[in-house]
This record gives sequence, C-alpha cells and structure tokens, in this order.
Amino acid sequence: MTFKLPAIDYLALAPMLVLFGAACAGVLVDALVPREWRYHVQVPLSLVALLASGGFVVALANRKEHVVTAGSAVVIDGPGLFLQGSIVVLGIVALFLVAERRLEPGGAFVAQAAVVAGSEADRKQMRKPGVTEVYPMMLFALAGMMLFCSANDLLTMFVALEVFSLPLYLLCALARRRRLLSQEAAVKYFLLGAFASAFFLYGVAMIYGYAGKVDFRGINEAVLGSSNSKTLLLIGLAMLAIGLLFKVAAVPFHVWTPDVYQGAPTPITAFMAACTKVAAFGGLLRVLYVAFERSSWDFRPTLGVIAAATMIVGAVLAVTQTDIKRLLAYSSVANAGYLLTGTLSMNRDGLKYTMFYLVAYGFTVLAAFAIVMLVRDSDGEATHLARWAGLGRRSPVFASLFTFLMLAFAGIPLTSGFTAKFGVFAAAVGGNMTWLVIIGVLSSMILAFPYLRVVVLMWLSVPGDDTPTVSVPGAFTAAALFVGVAMTLVLGVAPNQALELVNDAGAFLR
Amino acid sequence: MSTVLALAGEVTTGEAATFYILAPIALIGAIGMVWARNAVHSALFLVLTMLSLGVFYILQAGPFIGMVQIIVYTGAIMMLFLFVLMLIGRDASDSLIETLRGQRTVALLLGIGFAGLLCTGLGRAVGSMTSVGLDEANAAGNTQGIARDLFTKYVFAFEVTSALLITAAVGAMLLAHVEKVKAEKVTQLEMMRARFAPGNYPAPKPGPGVFAATNSVAAPGLLPDRTVAGRSLSALVPTRELTEAEAAPKGTEK
Repeated sequence: MTFKLPAIDYLALAPMLVLFGAACAGVLVDALVPREWRYHVQVPLSLVALLASGGFVVALANRKEHVVTAGSAVVIDGPGLFLQGSIVVLGIVALFLVAERRLEPGGAFVAQAAVVAGSEADRKQMRKPGVTEVYPMMLFALAGMMLFCSANDLLTMFVALEVFSLPLYLLCALARRRRLLSQEAAVKYFLLGAFASAFFLYGVAMIYGYAGKVDFRGINEAVLGSSNSKTLLLIGLAMLAIGLLFKVAAVPFHVWTPDVYQGAPTPITAFMAACTKVAAFGGLLRVLYVAFERSSWDFRPTLGVIAAATMIVGAVLAVTQTDIKRLLAYSSVANAGYLLTGTLSMNRDGLKYTMFYLVAYGFTVLAAFAIVMLVRDSDGEATHLARWAGLGRRSPVFASLFTFLMLAFAGIPLTSGFTAKFGVFAAAVGGNMTWLVIIGVLSSMILAFPYLRVVVLMWLSVPGDDTPTVSVPGAFTAAALFVGVAMTLVLGVAPNQALELVNDAGAFLR
Repeated sequence: MSTVLALAGEVTTGEAATFYILAPIALIGAIGMVWARNAVHSALFLVLTMLSLGVFYILQAGPFIGMVQIIVYTGAIMMLFLFVLMLIGRDASDSLIETLRGQRTVALLLGIGFAGLLCTGLGRAVGSMTSVGLDEANAAGNTQGIARDLFTKYVFAFEVTSALLITAAVGAMLLAHVEKVKAEKVTQLEMMRARFAPGNYPAPKPGPGVFAATNSVAAPGLLPDRTVAGRSLSALVPTRELTEAEAAPKGTEK
C-alpha cells in the first residue's frame, strides 16, 4: 500500500516551525553551552526566533492568500494570522519580563527546581542564576498557542492544546521565592488542566460520533444535514466548551485562576494572562464561528449564562481581594466574561472586536504585571494590597503609570480598555445579546471599585515604614512597561489603525 | 485478520458475550482504582480496566489500537508506574482530610448525576445509530489504514507531538533532577584523610553494653578494665541528675 505525503505549504507553517525549531535549539543550548553563557545565548535566540516568526506572519498577511495546508490540518486565514501575530508580539513583551535579571540576582526563576524548598541547599542557591530551560519552554508554548489558533480540525487542536499547556504547567513551578506556593500552583493547574483536556477529548469523540468527521468544515456540514441524533452534538459541544472555557478561565471553570496567578512567577503570570487568553479565545472563536455557527441557537443561551456569571463572579470576587496578583486574576476572569460577550454576538463585529479586545487587554495586563514585579522589598515582591498604601508619594512616576493601567482596566475613555469594551458591547447589541450587555455594564461598574481602591490606596495614604520601594527597572522590564503603557494609550486614543487591521483580517476560512 | 474484524453494523453472539463478560470487569477495575487505599492496588485495578478496553478495541475491529493499548499502556506505562511506586515505597498513603465539609458527598452526588445524564443522553443517541465506513477504513488492513491517516491527514499533528515529548522530558528533568556540584562530592581519598586526621579515632567506637551487665542501648560501653568508655556516651544527651537547687524544697509541700 502506498500513499503520498500531502502537499505542505511550508511558508504558511513557517511562523510555527521557526518557533518549534528555535525551542529545540534552545534545549540543545541548555545541554551543550557552559552554564554562565546559557542566559546570554538563550535570550537572543528566543528573541530572534520570535522576530523571525513575526516577520513570517507579516509576510503571510501581505500574501493575502488564505490556505488550508498540511492535509487540511492547518488553516491560514485572516483572523488566524491576526491572532498568531498578536501572540508573537505579546510573547516578545512577555519574554522581556521573563528575561529580566536586574530586579533580583538571578532573575525570577529558581536555579534548581528539584531542590527541596526551604532546605539548606535551597538557601545556598538563592543567589544563583535561574534556570534557562524557561526560554525553550516558552517558545514551545507560543508555538502551540499559534497552532491552536489556526488548527483546522479538532485533533490538531487537541495536540496544540497539550503542546501549549504542558510548558505552562512547568513554568508555574519555577518561582525563585515562595516556592511551595509556586509548586502548589503548578500541581493544581496540571491536575485541573488534565481534567479539562480529558473533557475536551471526550467532546471530540462525541462530535466525531455525530458528524463522522473532526475537521471544522465537515462538522459544519454535518450540523446542517446529519441524520444522527442531535443529543450527541449537544453533549459533544458541551464537553468541548468545558475544555475551552477552562483555558479562558470562565466561571465555573475559573477556580484555578487566582491560585495559579498568585503562585506562578510574575513574568509567567503575565505571559499566561496575555498570551494564553489570546490562544484560548482564538480557539474558541474558531470552534464556535467555523464549526458550530449553525447551531448557535443551541449554545448561545447556555454560554450567555456562563458569560454573565463570569462577569459578575469575577467582578464581585475582585472586590474582596487583598493581594494584587489575586485581584488581577479575578479581573482576568471578569475580562474573560467581556470577551465571551463579544464572542457570543456571532457576527462579524463580534469577531473583530473580540480580537481587538484580546490585544488591548494583553498589553495592559503585561504592563500591570511589570509594575507588580517592580514593587518589592527584601522579601521579594510585596503583593499584599496594604503594602501598596502610600506608594504614590514614594514613586509618583510608577504610581501614575499603574493608575493609568487601572483606569484602562476599568474602561475609562482615552484608554484601550474603553475602546475594546465599547466594541464588544456594541457587537453584542448588534447580535441580539442586549441582556448580556446590561450585565456587562453593571459588572464593569462593580469592577471599577477594586481598581479605584488600589488607586486611592496608592495616592491618598501616607507611606509607612514598611512601604516597599519601587525598584529601578532593568532595560527589559522598562521596555515591556513602555510598550504595554504606550499601546494602552495608542489603542485608546487612536485605535483606527488597529481596528483597520482586525477589519482587514476578515472572517474565518471555512 | 478478517475473522477478527467484525462486520459493520452486526453484533455477533461471541462479540456480545465477550462484551457482557468484560464490561463489568472493566467497570469494577475503574471503580476499584478510585476506591483502593493502596496505590499498588489502584494501579493493578487500572491494568484490569486497560486490558478489558484493549479487548474491546480488538472486538470493535481495531486490532492495532487494541494491541497498542495492551502492549504500550498496560505493558509498558503501567508497569513502569508500578516500578516507581515500589521504588518510592508503597506505604506512603495520603491523608484524606476534607478541607471543605461535605465536599465528598456533594462531589459524589454531582458525579453520579453527571454520569446519569451522560448515560441516558448517549443511550438515546446511540440507540438509533448505524455505524458506517468501517469496511472502507479497514479495506487495506487496519494498521495500514491508521498509517495512512497518521501520515497524510494528521501528519502535522503527528510531528507536533514530538514537541510534547521534548517538553515532557525537559520538564521531568527540571522538576526532578538535582545537579551534583563538584565541590560537594567527597572522594575516597578525602574520606580516608579525614579518618586519620588528628581529633578523630580511626577504629570503631565501642558498642553499647560491651562487658556490661545489660544489653540496653542506654548502657554505656565498658572498657576491659570495667571503666566507662567515654566515646560510647552521647554528647547530645545530658546527664539527668537533680542539682542541689532543684532538690531544695519549693515551699509547696503543704
């Protein structure tokens, strides 16, 4: 029996292949290069790989030719390319945070994760440089995310889901300080993530039972004309949604978020908040818009309730938080709700503004976590909110920047948060989901409270003896902070170019 | 091979009989795995379930996946798992303390409810279905059919899986491997030097109860002249005798 390898458009796959290749090279670097040189090789290698990958994305976008390649496993279309591009750009900014070594001797990562936390050996390695396997792991995760956004069938999507999840589980466990918390976060994320993956896979099996196919186009045709019982479709869709909603941290699948966000090293938290969100929503958008568009009457009410619950629970629980990282985690949950609102409008605007929201939120959240990294005392980052009191008088510049970011989260005009929120809400009204918009606006008002509380705490309190200092950022963090804040401002004041970009991206290819 | 492959849409008596024998066994294995207190028992129950599943796959005209299930999952992975369990000691049982009250009951109820919902839904959905395409899929042989799919339609996913394996290998090393620093390694030469260094006595220390009237470890070792060997007394355990001050009346005797 003979068969031919399907035609593979290597240029279309190049953005991902570059990252996979660089990640493998990174693993080799860790094996072969002397220890003191590894950091100096890994960081440029990752950066060059990401830039090259971004270059290929731009080249593909200019080619304006939408292709289905690798035996219909991967589809390169406008929205897919836009999402891939945003993952690369946000990934570069996150890489800056990961590469930062000025704030703390050795960086935010532990030197040897296997050493028992709190032991004599652990104290000895306190000042040693952190592991450099972080960089290849990050590249693997980014490549997986890009594949997740452009997979054309559920099996490829599942493999991509695992490829980007597994490195994230690992990265969560590598914090230099508060190591037990970090390890606990990794175990929690791993166990719950594995559970969610199992749900996803079960859903794929059910969908295959219904449609006889796993590719999105085939499923779309089957939804229209299959004679099989619709129960299978509904069960499959529900299971699939559980797997995807876990990754986007929607209520009630959000419980891992605060613990993992708090326990993971802050650069990784930022990476997850920005890039994982883009990838997860990219996947969700493709599944809902391409494969199941015609059964939107079935899933919109249910997912609408989930979106509403996500917004309300995220906002209300954010009010009660006393830790800045947990506060940002619940804010990320609530933002998942706004993104779901945009997604569920199921029209062209919904797709457009959801993608815009993802990028806008990504930049803002990266900058916010960059500042969280800077506020520190001798014990590392001071994340308790009470410690932030009076920070405005200690270092007005950073407090002003953080205030601006908080206002962006709250959706005040002239920030990207406003443009994005306005966009998704307008799209949802256009898609007959007005009730969801009302809940969205109400929850935004609740959510503004915790943000403004941080602002008030920073500016109107008198700094005490234990008010931490804001460290002078190294070049990397400064760059990340600058890009994040600048993009938040630009996307708020002059969003036209970005909106044009999402508009040009067009619709998903079926 | 064709005798193994079931015809599409028909269930022969042998197939039905095998299914009804093995299905409860698979279920017992699955429940036992969760229920067993001992990790080794859990693993063995899982082996039982996996073996039954392997037979199911073969019955369902998928001999390749069935054999892979038995050889790779049951034979290799589960046995490695058992090895690890035996190596790290199987008596380390987890403490099962409920941190949230009533959590287990609620979880059980929800689990049963979910399973019930799923089973009724599936029962209704699958009952009216006819399977199609089995003969075409197996037309050139089952293994060949899988190979064709794997290397044409899903070749990219297949290749990308290698990223998963690299991540797993690197991750296992990251989380479990402690590098030995050269300075910390004590060589035989250094150990010998330390043994004959001043301040150390190279010969074995006197054991407890040598020439003593008791074999308690608490008894100090005696030298041949029946004096106490100072080396057999632990420096960490102080002599416990009351001092004058401690024995003095404290004014509470009345």
